[in-house]
Amino acid sequence: MAKPPARKPKKKVCVFCKEKISYVDYKDTTLLRKFISDRGKIRARRVTGNCTQHQRDVATAVKNSREMALLPYTSTAR
Amino acid sequence: MRQYELMVILDPELEERAVSPLIDGFLKVVRDGGGNVEKVDTWGRRRLAYEINKKSEGIYSVVDLKAQPDVVKELDRQLNLNESVLRTKVLRPDTH
Repeated sequence: MAKPPARKPKKKVCVFCKEKISYVDYKDTTLLRKFISDRGKIRARRVTGNCTQHQRDVATAVKNSREMALLPYTSTAR
Repeated sequence: MRQYELMVILDPELEERAVSPLIDGFLKVVRDGGGNVEKVDTWGRRRLAYEINKKSEGIYSVVDLKAQPDVVKELDRQLNLNESVLRTKVLRPDTH
């Protein structure tokens, strides 16, 4: 079968820059859950489309959240 | 004086009405040290993402306060000494 033509990567805009959120709260687990995989790993920037600064803020928030048992370090569901 | 945010996870076996006097007792250090407790938000019982000290639930509470750094250090120390405190976290939200 022929390979599908190379897709042009769509340029994603960082959701935090768009919404003008400056502080990523570690208590907001519903928001942070969008940035972790179902295994509990932090999604890469190429997946989330965040800018450098906000990806870093998200990562810190997720890590803080994990320390307080709001998010899992790992989840072996499956 | 600096702005701090404190989160504590308390033992789930504590009674609901025993929680706020307990937290208030802890925050006495802040008041005596010239600090200011701005908001105490008790979330109540919540499932932990993983077990802490063999417990799968915890009582969460978030406190916003303004105090001197060494007062907060002392508060955190006292919290960690208490048996009914599972975990604490102190953050300065304005550093972000």
